[in-house]
Amino acid sequence: MSHIHIPDGVLPFWLWGSGWLLALMLVWVAARLSERSDVRRKVPLLGVVSALMLVAMSTEVVPIAYHINLTVIAGALLGPVLSVIAAFIVQVVLAMLGHGGVTVIGLNTLIVGGEMIVGWALFRGHVRILGKRHVRPADAIATVLALALSTSALVGIVWLGGSAATGRETGSLDPDTLRFENPFSEGAVSIGLFSGGEEHHPEADEGDAHADNLNVKRFATVVYTLGPLGWLLEAFVTASVLGYVARVRPVLVFEGALTDTRHSIPGDETGGR
Amino acid sequence: MHIGSVDESAVLGRSWLHRASPNAKLIALALMIGAVVVTWNVLVALALALMLMTAVTTANLKPRLAYGLAAYPAIFALVFALSSAPNALSGTVIVLKAVVAALAAVIVVLTTPYPQIFAPIQRITPGVVGDALLMTYRSTFILLEKFANLMRAVKLRSGLTAGHPIRAMRATTRALGGLLLYSFDLAQRDYDVMRLRGYQGHLRIGRQPRLSPRTDTALVTGCLSALATSVLWRFEAFALNPYSWIVPLVPLAALLTASALRWRNQ
Repeated sequence: MSHIHIPDGVLPFWLWGSGWLLALMLVWVAARLSERSDVRRKVPLLGVVSALMLVAMSTEVVPIAYHINLTVIAGALLGPVLSVIAAFIVQVVLAMLGHGGVTVIGLNTLIVGGEMIVGWALFRGHVRILGKRHVRPADAIATVLALALSTSALVGIVWLGGSAATGRETGSLDPDTLRFENPFSEGAVSIGLFSGGEEHHPEADEGDAHADNLNVKRFATVVYTLGPLGWLLEAFVTASVLGYVARVRPVLVFEGALTDTRHSIPGDETGGR
Repeated sequence: MHIGSVDESAVLGRSWLHRASPNAKLIALALMIGAVVVTWNVLVALALALMLMTAVTTANLKPRLAYGLAAYPAIFALVFALSSAPNALSGTVIVLKAVVAALAAVIVVLTTPYPQIFAPIQRITPGVVGDALLMTYRSTFILLEKFANLMRAVKLRSGLTAGHPIRAMRATTRALGGLLLYSFDLAQRDYDVMRLRGYQGHLRIGRQPRLSPRTDTALVTGCLSALATSVLWRFEAFALNPYSWIVPLVPLAALLTASALRWRNQ
């Protein structure tokens, strides 16, 4: 699933507000940590890896509402600290292109960042266990597990936002109150839009409050039915790509994209530190 | 994503929205998103959509590009709405909310060059985040073009057709692998350029002067009224809902007038 495609205004304020707060704190800490050394190398690297994720996300598999994310590859190459920043950047650009909600940027950053970090940890662990010759299965397993985890996080967020415990007043959502009525002459034009135009009783809403909440069980069923197809597709793509890169340029895969292979320019030995 | 067309529209456009300052447009976007967040009334949400469609028409934006981008999240919102909405009306509002919020963001992006959009974000985020944001947008153009060329080359060399999905997928992953290697070479080249030019951890973006303060005021006032309507219909729902049908009439009239004027000018 990788990131939430939940529109603005569906989740309650406390949830997306907390997401923003937590994400900004994490991004700030990650930025401070990454600025300690060699920032000039990290800025273009973050730029291209985030752009690579955006390019991958621009191709959608319509029947299952899925698109490739390359989050595990990006996590494996960038490491945990830069992954958080890359996740935030990708979400900001996607939101500005209308791809995701602005209010859910924080929650999306946490989900995608978490997916990248889990993917990085699992990939490194699997390579250590299976050996460098088995990059493809190591990556495929890491991808499926990371995506399963992020999908569960997504369902958890919807549960938090739509469960009865956090049920919220949705006021005008009630179809009974939507009628064509003339404000200037009482009831001169009164045609039922979604009902017979019957009188609305506010006290009746109390009983409906729970019925108006998001149906988390149905959402989880749909997500866990369509999700595995996406996980397998993503696992196939990332395993193939990483397997190819491991064959052509193994240093990049096994030691990360920040491996120091550059030459110092005379007079600039500090490299921006 | 049609990022090349997005940038062309933002840089070459000459409409009233292009003349509005980036700060005013970002404030207007925040207000519109506030309106989307607050409302659960399908007719108020429809009014917001009509209002934004009027902006698209009067700003001479390419309808196919603007609506195409805004419709993209509708697919995902539809899946979400079908799977979780308690009734058809809630589902419609969820999809409308996605489209309206997306259209508001898309209008800002189609009328503002990206460095001007990211400049305010760059001012409040740590240096590495703001700079990487700018590098990302720039790299996305380069990588999209490179990926399209790679895919074309792969298709021509291996004779891919729609009837061979497995072969096509393998070819796509190979192209993505090539793109990944290319992107790291690109990062290395950018790094060398930044070192030579003495980058010290901050890319500077010049501020765009306010070209039309009246436009800025009108834009922000319009979006403020949208937010006020949304808030009013949310918190006084029981009293105002019977009159919700009036709300979309005003932007509908504006849209029809704008469309007629545009058609006549063409």
